[in-house]
Amino acid sequence: MDVLKRRSIPWRSLVAKLCGVWLCVAASGGCMKWDYGTMEEFTLADSGLFITNEGNFQYGNATLSFYDPATRQVENSIFYRSNGFKLGDVAQSMTIRNDVGWVVVNNSHVIFAIDLATAREVGRITGLTSPRYIHFLSDEKAYVTQIWDNRIFIVNPRRYEITGYIECPGMSMESGSTEQMVQYGKYLFVNCWSYQNRILKIDTETDSVVDELQVGIQPTSLVLDRNNLLWTITDGGYEGSPYGYEAPSLYCIDPETMHVVRQFTFSLGDAPSEIQLNGAGDTLYWINRDIWRMPVEARSLPTQPFIAYQDTKYYGLTVDPSNGDVYVADAIDYQQQGIVYRYAADGELIDRFYVGIIPGAFCWKQ
Amino acid sequence: MKQSFRLFRRLACAACLSGFLLLPGGLAAQSGSPEAESAARTIAIREVPVWGQRPMKSIGVDQTRFDSTVLRQNIALSVADVLTFNSSLFVKQYGRATLSTVSFRGTGPSHTQVTWNGMRINNPMLGMTDFSMIPAYFIDDASLLHGSSSVNETGGGLGGLVKLSTRPAAADGFGLQYVQGVGMFRTFDEFLRLTWGDEHWQLSTRAVCQSSANDFKYRNRDKKENLYDEEMNIIGSYYPVERNRSGSFRDLHLLQEVYYNTGRGDRFGVNLWYVNSNRELPMLTTDYAEERQFENRQREHTLRSVVSWDHLRSDWKLGARAGYIHTWMAYDYRRDPGNGIMTSMTRSRSRVDTFYGQFDGEYAIGRRWLFTGSLAAYQHLVTSVDKNIILQEGDRAVVGYDQGRVELSASASVKWRPVERLGLSAVLRGEVYGDEWAPIPALFADYLLSRRGNLVLRASVSRNYRFPTLNDLYFLPGGNPDLRSEHGLAYETGLSFAVGREGRYTLSGSASWYDQRIDDWILWLPTTKGFFSPVNVKKVHAYGVELQAALDVALAREWKLGMNGTFSWAPSINVGEKMSPADQSVGKQLPYEPLWSSTVSGRLTWRTWELLYQWCYYSQRYTMSSNDVTITGYLPPYFMNNLSVTKRFALPWCDLSLKAAVNNLFDEEYLSVLARPMPGINAEFFLSITPKWGAGKRSR
Repeated sequence: MDVLKRRSIPWRSLVAKLCGVWLCVAASGGCMKWDYGTMEEFTLADSGLFITNEGNFQYGNATLSFYDPATRQVENSIFYRSNGFKLGDVAQSMTIRNDVGWVVVNNSHVIFAIDLATAREVGRITGLTSPRYIHFLSDEKAYVTQIWDNRIFIVNPRRYEITGYIECPGMSMESGSTEQMVQYGKYLFVNCWSYQNRILKIDTETDSVVDELQVGIQPTSLVLDRNNLLWTITDGGYEGSPYGYEAPSLYCIDPETMHVVRQFTFSLGDAPSEIQLNGAGDTLYWINRDIWRMPVEARSLPTQPFIAYQDTKYYGLTVDPSNGDVYVADAIDYQQQGIVYRYAADGELIDRFYVGIIPGAFCWKQ
Repeated sequence: MKQSFRLFRRLACAACLSGFLLLPGGLAAQSGSPEAESAARTIAIREVPVWGQRPMKSIGVDQTRFDSTVLRQNIALSVADVLTFNSSLFVKQYGRATLSTVSFRGTGPSHTQVTWNGMRINNPMLGMTDFSMIPAYFIDDASLLHGSSSVNETGGGLGGLVKLSTRPAAADGFGLQYVQGVGMFRTFDEFLRLTWGDEHWQLSTRAVCQSSANDFKYRNRDKKENLYDEEMNIIGSYYPVERNRSGSFRDLHLLQEVYYNTGRGDRFGVNLWYVNSNRELPMLTTDYAEERQFENRQREHTLRSVVSWDHLRSDWKLGARAGYIHTWMAYDYRRDPGNGIMTSMTRSRSRVDTFYGQFDGEYAIGRRWLFTGSLAAYQHLVTSVDKNIILQEGDRAVVGYDQGRVELSASASVKWRPVERLGLSAVLRGEVYGDEWAPIPALFADYLLSRRGNLVLRASVSRNYRFPTLNDLYFLPGGNPDLRSEHGLAYETGLSFAVGREGRYTLSGSASWYDQRIDDWILWLPTTKGFFSPVNVKKVHAYGVELQAALDVALAREWKLGMNGTFSWAPSINVGEKMSPADQSVGKQLPYEPLWSSTVSGRLTWRTWELLYQWCYYSQRYTMSSNDVTITGYLPPYFMNNLSVTKRFALPWCDLSLKAAVNNLFDEEYLSVLARPMPGINAEFFLSITPKWGAGKRSR
């Protein structure tokens, strides 16, 4: 019995001590808080490159970066650092109007207006369905394209208000998809991408669709060259798609007649995207595994890439309008900081810098 | 105002802390008296397992069992909640009553196999299981088979197996239990169980109904609200206090069981489990949409059924099971375009029908040999419609797939105990999925190092495969029919012990070290065409240590303390090739896998009172494969504390129980997943009534 007593006492003491330590740790847990709220003061360079990093869908980790080509310095997460709160979920694009940058955050249903020098928010537009791009017609009127909505939203950027809608024919709410916008005279042209195959022509005075052109399956992007010709590039859909699967094409379109001037067809299975122009508007660039470029006057597709594929996941592309430097974003594994490669117009690598997760779009501050 | 609130919270914390710190000491002092020691012997303390009775089927197996006290804490809990506070597994929760996945040892949620009454219930489309949809009150036995140990039951469990089952209620006559729970955020939980049984028959009907507006308040630090002047210039901003938006849910579960025991070695069982779930998906913290303009809802109807027959003899056993699972799931994302009519933006529907059959057999030769064999077959039929589109010709069509797959799993094992101290086991399993097959071998051994303390050394090695899910292969767009199976080689060793004295205390524990390499890890990545597609990209080296300990001790007269603890150190490292020259993820911990985690729970009982304290800890989790410590690159570590107090009343006509439960006791601000709000301190009260009539009343 004595032996039993001697054995039992240390257990009780040990239990008491363990409880004490455990409860100290448990209680201290209540004091753990997030580190939030610091707002930094920025003075961004007068010219440079904004990079919208999409982040992962549904994780709210989109960010905004700024790169100064002159000093080769990059500042990441400038929206958060300047404002003390997150940019949101899937930063889709950015457009500059006067001294204000407009960042479209797709799955946050918001467009932030930021000061270009400080990245500080100056306003926001809400009430959107799933915004993709914003195009300014004036200081008080802009269009916002959407996915999962058959309407283009008309907004008043000065009042941050939605003022109207443009109904797009041939699409329902569920299959709605309007993307990039290019203006020629009073007409605005929009490529319709997801399960679509059209370029819409919109009269900006009546805010209505006045014409449309059928191209290949899923035109991804749209630009206007120095000859005032539209260019779009399709991705061809995917194997098994009920909408169709075909070889993608690069289309040159006359915006006045809405006719295809030239068509360049890729191989079935290719996935071209991100059609871009240099500053002079005379050279096209796009991603198709490698980086390709072609004069707008060319009559056939190039046979050699401008920048070869190097185990890279090229996701974004832009050309410096001032000197022709080419910037290519590699999303790597889509779960870490992407990297942007900067090439000279002759293809020489000039610089590279890490940005945020999935760098998808660029915007030049000039 | 803010300062006074903080002061109040500090005082509350301090009061709780001082009270609990003093409590164990006081209990220890009381337990020293002879009367207390005498009384202690009357308190039920579980027995220490005797080595000679260790089941042959458990040779070399690393298994964690949960008893009914853990599963029956309160009716509001799901199995995800139980595992969070009582196991070394990582439970990733997307919010309160929202998708909750479970992963073992640094692996992914789809590497966790789940069985219910022997039938695998992982969703064949996704490969994983939502544990928030499994009420803990519907499970009578739950156990975890870690790593290689899962090969004894099924293949594909690169992380392990969660084994869930029900059992006969052991009713004598008619029985009824009703529990009502009322909690914050307009939460209502109800549980009803009707039982009837005699010598041969056992019938049980269980129902759980759970609903909540789930609109808890939280300070949203991911966004700011602006104050504007008349010129629309921002003149101020603040972090808003928001409610969890679009988070309501209403779940109904029904479980019907019928068991028949011939009394001559044959048992028959029928289990039917119906789930009707209607849940909104909470809006992200970074969402600026108006709640009333959007609807984001998931609905599910699932019927799981198993019919079983077990034939038991002294040295052999046969079993047969047949089952059927029907799942209908709907996901709707709709918005009001301004006309007051919610219009569909995404309308996704899926239907899964699974037919299941299994035969098991065991044959023992003396006490030294045991042979087992098993053959299981699953036929999955899946119809998935993800999107409605308008074709180029103007007709309407749907984007989706319609596929079926047969899965076969056959296993044979031999277990041998040549001497009392040594056990050896070999398992060979073959898995066939569609046109693919894979052999899954495993070897186990254990050795009794010391009879004193039942100190047992065990070791195992296995090779395992996980086949791609139906979504991995066929989902439109993005399904990749060229995917290879994930496969891994796992080694493991561990020690376990158990000591105690009957009626006084028991102490048991185990320590495991494991090392596993998984090749061809499947990851869904975006494509340049705007959709995601799965690819075999990563090699992962997962290794680490798991510790478990349990203590039951009779402290004094009518005082009993039970404590359980787990600890896990789980590096899960990407050791694959660089995906791109700039890839910074090689050599880094996988995203959303905590390196450290721990749980402790303490249950103190005195007469008809019970105090339960639960604590869990997850270390920092990276959200980026490069392990960047940026604002969105990681989730801070957090401690979670839950407390409940129960008082039981034995009235002449019924047993009553009152329970108050407080979750997140210290009002921790925490996230399990980026941008998914979690509730602060909240409480729920429960009333349980068990009428006494018939045999139950007479026996008293």
